[in-house]
Formats: sequence, structure tokens, C-alpha cells
Amino acid sequence: MTGIASMAAPVAERSEPVTPLLDASKLTIAFGPVVANDEVSLTVYPSEIQCVLGENGAGKSTLMKILYGVYRPDSGSISVDGQPVVIDSPLVARKLGLGMVFQDFRLVPALTVYENVALAAPGSGPLLRRREILGRLAEVSKSLGLDVDPQAPVRTLPIAQRQQVEIAKVLVAGARILILDEPTSVLAPQEADGLFEQMDQLRKAGMSVLIITHKLREARKVADRLTVLRGGKSVVEGVLPETMNDSELIEAMVGRSLAPLPAERETMPKERNVLELRRLKVPGQAGLAGLRGLDLTVAEGEVVGIAGVAGSGQRELVDALAGARPWTADSFAVGSAELRRSDPVIALRSGVSCVPEDPVAEWVIPGLTIVEHIVLARMREGNGTAGRRRLGIDWKHHRSKTGELDAAANLEMAAMDRQVATLSGGNIQRVVLTHVLAGESTLYVLAYPTRGLDVASCRRVHELVLACRAKGAGVVIVSEDLDELLLLSDRIAVLHDGHLAGICDAGTDAQEIGRLMLGAAA
Amino acid sequence: MTGFAASVAPAVRSRLTVPAARHLAARTLFWGGMYLSALVIFGAFTALRGADPFAMYHAMWQSTVLNAYGRGQVLDKAAPFILCGLAVAIPARAGLVNIGGEGQIVIGVTAAGGVALALGTHVTGTPALILMGLGAMAAGALWAAIATVLRLVGNVNEAIATLLLNYVGADVLNYLVYGPWRDPAGNGQPAAKPLPEGDSLPKLGSYAHIGIVAALVAAVVVAFALKRTSWGFMLRCVGGNQTAARRAGLKVAWLMMSAMLVGGALAGLAGMIQFTGLEGQLRPGIAATFGYTGFLASWLARHQPGKVVLAAGLLAGIAVAGDSLQITSHLPGSTVNILMALILLAMLATRSRSKAAA
Repeated sequence: MTGIASMAAPVAERSEPVTPLLDASKLTIAFGPVVANDEVSLTVYPSEIQCVLGENGAGKSTLMKILYGVYRPDSGSISVDGQPVVIDSPLVARKLGLGMVFQDFRLVPALTVYENVALAAPGSGPLLRRREILGRLAEVSKSLGLDVDPQAPVRTLPIAQRQQVEIAKVLVAGARILILDEPTSVLAPQEADGLFEQMDQLRKAGMSVLIITHKLREARKVADRLTVLRGGKSVVEGVLPETMNDSELIEAMVGRSLAPLPAERETMPKERNVLELRRLKVPGQAGLAGLRGLDLTVAEGEVVGIAGVAGSGQRELVDALAGARPWTADSFAVGSAELRRSDPVIALRSGVSCVPEDPVAEWVIPGLTIVEHIVLARMREGNGTAGRRRLGIDWKHHRSKTGELDAAANLEMAAMDRQVATLSGGNIQRVVLTHVLAGESTLYVLAYPTRGLDVASCRRVHELVLACRAKGAGVVIVSEDLDELLLLSDRIAVLHDGHLAGICDAGTDAQEIGRLMLGAAA
Repeated sequence: MTGFAASVAPAVRSRLTVPAARHLAARTLFWGGMYLSALVIFGAFTALRGADPFAMYHAMWQSTVLNAYGRGQVLDKAAPFILCGLAVAIPARAGLVNIGGEGQIVIGVTAAGGVALALGTHVTGTPALILMGLGAMAAGALWAAIATVLRLVGNVNEAIATLLLNYVGADVLNYLVYGPWRDPAGNGQPAAKPLPEGDSLPKLGSYAHIGIVAALVAAVVVAFALKRTSWGFMLRCVGGNQTAARRAGLKVAWLMMSAMLVGGALAGLAGMIQFTGLEGQLRPGIAATFGYTGFLASWLARHQPGKVVLAAGLLAGIAVAGDSLQITSHLPGSTVNILMALILLAMLATRSRSKAAA
């Protein structure tokens, strides 16, 4: 192990030519008129981590599915260890040492960890070689620093651990190249850091890792080399990260340069508070602290960021503001109204609109289209008669309203007759954001607003947030991304264990905020 | 490869209708085959029991479709089946499982009978019918409300609560007809005093009563309410995702309650129709299994009011045909349940297939 590790040096530093582990050249595949991959090339060397960057729809997933034998390319060639191969099924891909970890894991929830691993283990024959598989699982777990009981049913594991099981499964099956599709989309930042450390371990052990992502910062953190796809073409092929700066990379991904958000923002005269909380207490669930007496004000035209490690009370705050969770407070005032109790109708009528933490569980209704979701969301607005027609619903009104919101938000929302539940996470987020940010509210409560969005959409969301601020509304924004909070917020409230650990100005150093997040006294 | 694909593409496009037609033919064949085999299996079974299957099917067809009396019987049976189906379909929109149509219709019968006894000969004719209808609907709604309150307050599963209340409903009726409401002039039979002659449901033609009209009107109104009103829309939201509906400000508990109340009221109305249209006298076991048949009709129809009418009509036809079996083929009337089961299986098989094709 140590021997391999010492040999492993970044590819660029090697002088002698190395045979690529995987060499895909000029892959092209079209689905009807859509060319999803247009002469895409990708080379993976032994012992490297390569990131494939690109916006949603750039062709990243298609490329991975070609490599994994799900799709066959119309043209182009693939070789493994210098030998040309035809990968016409995932089985062949696995035999060649390619292992894929899908975004939505391919685990059987009712089976145990061991059983899931055994399912994928090669050449099992009619009998499971239980001891051998368990042994290899233990070996892999040890090298990954993975602490999971092989007999635990997968459904009892949290998502981060399921991902670990999926990785272990692929490794036990004999993968030499690990392909991870948007691996951090389901992870908290700390969990993502843990994953990256594991990937580093794998690299040191001589394996190669291919990570698909649209997060620039992550790519910078782990990648030895970067490939960028845009519109189905590889616009950057395997460059070293240090040869391109962020704005060059963004331009490669988006196709145009994004002007930075205006740093100088007009400061509104903050005469009135749109939100005043005095000693807000919200009981937590599942053993979490909840909120234990929070004082917070948000003035008109002010963006207040909420920072904190996961489970510090963010969820309880968002839910209390949305009227979706019971609370007690000495004072809970939105705009000019003092709220007496937790009720979604009261919250909506006093002008709070909310992007929930988990839209699929808390906002999306299976079977309903985008327009129908907009109807539902606006049902209790104003006096409750807007968009009603006698006993029924004024669909024409709502269709035109939805069109207006779509145009105003300009977030590339899907067609309004699509069922929301069938959309991908990022596209669901676009629907929620279009509804909330293009609407008129006194107080916008945004939980993780840019989750699952690509770079260009994130930028658009940030612009919309600042537009809400400029209109004189208050914005509360919860995010795991400190950079995002620092970029948008006038003030940042740091939560720790259900308490307010401190309030920082926009210019505060990220290190200082991190210290507060971990519970240091202000 | 691309070149080859391009050259064959137009040819493929022009022949696209052929596979489509073939697909349609295959589906029709499958459908026909499934239902035909249901009839063949049942025919073979009756032949084994010494009956002539062809004569039997002929008699079944004759007794339900070709003959005016039989048609009237089918309509009279279909009316309560439709209403009991709707009693399941409406709560289903809000994500609730109402297995309690059985109890709700029995309580409806009981209430209608109670109103009739109370009115005696003081109020008769249409006013009496209206009062009986209202009483039966209120009682059915109340019966559904009990289960809903248990659900909303104690989080008791409404499917189980409604199911158990079916037995309670039957026992309430039994208690009354064996006890306080027993007709002293009835030779000791456990039955209440008969409904006065003039208080029966008006006839529709010579053989059916107007219950079927009430059921069809109810189906149309329910279809409209579910599809076109904001109430129907809100029920769908509650049924799809309660959390999301609550966060959007909908009164989830009230909406669930309203769906159950309307459902229970319709089942109660079915009881009143059965009582005033056919039975005319409270007795134990009156309207038994009607609620379960309605439950079946609603699930077969996937809770679509229009399809509930069709499913209930089919079930009513099969039930009536069972009577002719007894007369013409000397088989027990319940033999027809085998045919019903086979047809239901055929329905389920063809349905899952069309769903897979979609």
C-alpha cells in the first residue's frame, strides 16, 4: 500500500509517457435531433482524480452512460489499458473495471449491506461466497475508513452512508475506475469533505476516480485534471486546474462570462423591520435542539443570512416562519402584524413566502402540474378569492399568471403542464424559486435556494434575491455555502445548537464565522 | 453508421402505422382473450356440475338485458352500488380509504326506517320521502364522521375504523328490529312495521324505481365537484401530499372530514333508496354486502365517478344474472360469484397491461 502511495504522483509531473487507463476518443451520440455528445474525448490516467464539469444538460451524464455501457455511441472509440474495447453493456463495463455510483443509488433498501454488495459481486455462481465477499467488504471498508455494519438493512442507513455502501459495493465488484455522478448533491459539506478524503485514499492506492459535478469549488478542491463539457462538446480536455482561473472555467461551462454581482449595493434606509423575533422557541424533532430563544430582526431591504452546521436550528426557524411548526415567542412580528400562533395561512397572509428545505416532501404533490402547484400556492393569498371563479378555479387567470412568473424569474422553468413530481431535483427547485422569487412578498424565506442548480442559474437566483432586496422586502436566506451567504447578505446570523451564536457584518472573515458555527463565544 | 441510420429513417417513418395497427390488434386480441377465457372457465365449471353452459349464458343474457323486468332489476341494484362506489371514490381523492360504505348504508336504512316509523301516517308521500332521505344521509355522514374523528384526533387508521364500524352498524339495526322497533303484529318475525303503501319510491316505467336517476345525478354532481370545483382540487392536493397541502394553507382536517361526510351521506342515501324502493320493511341483513360491492366498483374504476357507474352497472348485472342461474340451471345463486371473480381478474389483467403500454 505504502509502495503504491509513494509511486502515485500527479500525472503531469511524470516524465515518461503513461498508458491511459481509459481513453475515450471522439464519442458522438444523438437522440433524434439532439446531439447529446458531439466528438467528446476523455482520457483517464492511473492514480488520478478527474472532474468532468458542465452545466445541467451539457452531456455529462450521457458520457458516463456511454462509458458504463448503458448507451452505445454512434461513433468514436474507447480503449482500456491501451486495448480498444466495445462496451455494450454495464456487465462488460464492470468486467473492464469501470464502476459507477449513480446519483440515485442502485441499492435494494430491504436487503442488508452485505446482501447488496453480494448482488453486485462478480461471478458468484449459484452460491454466494459469503466469507470471501464479507472479507473483501471488510478490507474495502477499512481502507475507506467506512464504519457500517454489514448486517444492517440499507433502508435504516442515512443517505451519506448509503452512498458509502454503494462505493464499497462497486469496489468489491473490482472497479479500478470509480465514476461518481454528482456525488455531493446529497451530502452536507462535512460529509463531502469526508468523501473527498476517501477519493484521495483511492488515488493513493492506484485507482482512478472520475467525478461529475457542476460545482467549481469542489472540482478545485479534489481534481488533478479538469474536463469541461458544454452543449455536448468537450470544450476543455484534461487541463491542470491551476492553468485556468475561476472566471475562465465559468466561461467554459456557461459559454459566456458572468459579470460579478454588483459589490456596491444601494443601502436602503432601514426604517422599518419586516421581521422581529423575540425569544423564539421552537421544539426540535428527532433529538435535535430546535430553537431555544432566538432574537432576530430583518429590516426592509435587508438580506440576512443564516449560517450554522447542519441541525443547529435552521430547519425549525424556516418552518416557524412558514407557520408549519408550532412555536412560542415573546414577539413574532411580520411587517406590521403581530402573529399569535403558528398557522400557514396567517404566515402567507402576512406576506411570508418560503422556499422549503425539502421541496419534494414539503411542496411537491404527485400528479399535479406546475400550473396546479402555482394555483395551490396562491390559494390562500390575499382574501382567498383571487383566481377563483364561482365554485371553481379560474385556470386562464392562473395560466397567464404562471407565464408572467416564468418570464419575470427567467429561470428556465419546465413547461407549465409538466407534472412537477416527474422533474429532476434541480428543475423542481426552479419551479419553487420561480413561484417564490417572482412573486410579491414582504419577507422571503429561502432555505438552500441554489441547491441542485448550475452556475448560470445560481447567478440568476442571486440576482433575483438582490432584486427582492431592492424592492424593499426582507430576505432570510439559509445556506450551507458560506461564500453564497457572504456574497448576498447584509448581515449573517450564526446559529449554534439552537442559539444565536453571533451576528456578523457582510465583511466578516469566513474563519470567524466558522468559529462561531462551532460554538465559540462571540 | 449514422449514414445508414439516415438512409433507413424515411422508410421506417412511412411504415410507422403498421406496428401501431399491429399493437392495437394485439391489445384487442388480449382483451378479448382475457374476457373470453373468463366465460369459458366458468362455462366449463358449470358444465361439470351438469348444466348446459350455452343455455345458461343465454338465460343470463335474457334475464338481464333482453327482458324489461330483468333490466329493471339491474337498474334497481345498480343504484345503491353506484352510490356506495361514490362513497369510496370521494374520500379516496383525499387519500382516505373508506371501507365503511357497508356500515353507512345499513345505518342509512335504519335511519330511513326510523324516520318512517316516527312519521307513521302523519306525513306521507314526497315530504316523507324527503325527510327519510335527509335522515338517512345525516346518519350515513355521522357514521363516516366517527371514523374520521378517530383518524384526525387519535390517528386511528380510517380503513380499520370504518371496517369495524360496519359490524357495529349491522348490530344497531339488529338490536332495533329484534327489540324496540319489532312489529307486534309481525308474528314474532324480527322486522319493523312495514312502510305505508304510498311512501314507496316512485316507479320509473313499470319495473324500476327512480333510485337509478338519483344515483346518476349524484355521479354527475360528484364528477363535476371533483374535477371542476376548488373543493375537488383541494381534495386532490390533500390526497397527493398532506404536508404540502398543509403548508400551502389548506385546512387538511376539514377537507378530509368533508370528503368523508359527503361519502357517508351518499351511502346513507343508498340505504334510503333500498328501503323505500324495494324492501319497505326493516329486517336484519337488509342491504348487506352492498357497501363492499361499491368498494369494489370504486377501486375497479380507480375512483373515477363515470367509471364507477359502469363498474357498478356491470356488478349489478352479474348479481341479477345469478338469480336466473338458480332458476334455469339449478345451480346455487352464489355460483355467479365465481363468474364475478373471473371477470374481475380479467379486468385487472387487462388494466395492468394497458397501464404498462401507456
